[in-house]
Amino acid sequence: MRPILDIQHVTHAFGHHTALHDISFSIKQGEVVGLIGRSGAGKSTLLRCLCALERPQQGHILLDGVDLTTQTERQLVRARRKIGLVFQHFNLLTSRTVAGNIALPLQIAGRPRKDHAKRIAELLALVGLEGFEDKYPSQLSGGQKQRVGIARALAAEPTLLLCDEATSALDPESTNSILALLADINRTLGLTIILITHEMEVVRRFAQRILVLDHGRLVEDGSLLDILRDGQENQTLHKLLADIRPSLPAFIAENLSPSPLTEPHKTIIRLVLSGDSATTPLFSMLYAHYAVKATLLQGGVTTISQRLSGDIILSLEGEHIEQALAFLKTATQSMEVLGYVPSHP
Amino acid sequence: MSPLILKLILQSTEQTLEMVLASTAISVLLGLPLALFMIATGPRGLYRLPFAARLIGMIVDAVRAVPFIILLVLLIPVTRFVAGTSLGTEAAIVPLSIAGIPYFARIAEMALREVDSGLIDAVRAMGGTRLTIIRSVLIAEAMPSLVTGVTVTLISMVGASAMAGVIGAGGLGDLAIRYGYQRFNTTVMFGVVVVLIIMVSVMQILGNALARWLKH
Repeated sequence: MRPILDIQHVTHAFGHHTALHDISFSIKQGEVVGLIGRSGAGKSTLLRCLCALERPQQGHILLDGVDLTTQTERQLVRARRKIGLVFQHFNLLTSRTVAGNIALPLQIAGRPRKDHAKRIAELLALVGLEGFEDKYPSQLSGGQKQRVGIARALAAEPTLLLCDEATSALDPESTNSILALLADINRTLGLTIILITHEMEVVRRFAQRILVLDHGRLVEDGSLLDILRDGQENQTLHKLLADIRPSLPAFIAENLSPSPLTEPHKTIIRLVLSGDSATTPLFSMLYAHYAVKATLLQGGVTTISQRLSGDIILSLEGEHIEQALAFLKTATQSMEVLGYVPSHP
Repeated sequence: MSPLILKLILQSTEQTLEMVLASTAISVLLGLPLALFMIATGPRGLYRLPFAARLIGMIVDAVRAVPFIILLVLLIPVTRFVAGTSLGTEAAIVPLSIAGIPYFARIAEMALREVDSGLIDAVRAMGGTRLTIIRSVLIAEAMPSLVTGVTVTLISMVGASAMAGVIGAGGLGDLAIRYGYQRFNTTVMFGVVVVLIIMVSVMQILGNALARWLKH
């Protein structure tokens, strides 16, 4: 199947500063992709290139087979109508009602005026704002404004929905409901969605695939599990992951030493579990086979992109520690020794 | 207050209103396109033409730098050409408008500049044409500030029209100077001031109410 979006060797610079460096990836119909990076990683530049507001200096961007980089400004105006954009600060026109805001892309696309009301009612039902037609944006909460933003982005039936930090200005509760809405839209309409964010927590919820951007380069393209695995070696990933990973309790972190101690000690490890390994009775196996007692210090099992996954920190103590660690390495997605603490501090 | 004085005040009020309303209407009608031109051709504008933007900006500032009383005299040939005469209430509308156009243009430019650039990006990204952006974003979003700008312009025109007596345009200011000041007629002076206060207050109240209503 032809990809809906195909980015080929995109490079873009502002003066001497290279904002994007040889970026290539492609996205299939119906995928939900999280594009994550810290501020200054090049996310915004890539976004502006994707929605044809900026023309990359090198490379090609194919949207549904049309190369955006070779189009004239007049042709681009048409191409942009195939992309729905959801903004961090909603960007709703304050001079127009909810219905007026959603009608704007319909007017731009030249839909007959008599069909507007029906389409607007449909969209408001989809985003859960029935009867809000005549309200003004100033009368809405942040979450409601973003729902209107999403309805507006969907109005002209785009082939691709780009969400630029769509939940960054919202409280946790609204963030949850907006993410649930986007997941729902992906499921029911089969719409391809790209979530651009600096928050790992946001992409963790439902992005099936994560692209990590750092200093203008694409450093990772895979599932969250891939990133959890690679995060041990890669500092960029490590930092991004810090938001969503359990961290060591302070009283342990203070006493942690990088090498084994001469006195009796506990070994502190981090495990990443997925699928089967998340439901294996690891603790009893450790005790039965290696006489190793494991204590859970932090973390637990959650659902990551519809699969059961665990990210936990354990303290181990017992006779056959080395064998136990070797076993864990094979039985789990990733095992990392964080350090050692004295048994009786 | 004698009926004669009352008649004089009434007639002058009428002349002032005629000058103020006509010149403000012309200032808005021509000043708004001028402001849009300055915004659109300026840096980050929709049609970047930096040279044209600077030239227009300089002309606007040059006209605004000339005190109105001087402009009134300076523009006599222009007034005669446009209005057919350089004297009277109708003739005064010409210099008042020429002073008002750049005045309102600068105010409107500020109002348009205040429009969130995110909104312009949003509509551009939707595939909106530049005309759509100007109409549905720039003008629509700046409307409450533009209305406030019109109010300010109206009130400035009330002040400026007081000097139009120099070219025989009449009006309240002229009445106050000739009767109130030069003939020491305190009643006329007082009456004129009261009428001016009421006029300006009503303009301000109506302007504020309209701007508030537009703000939602």
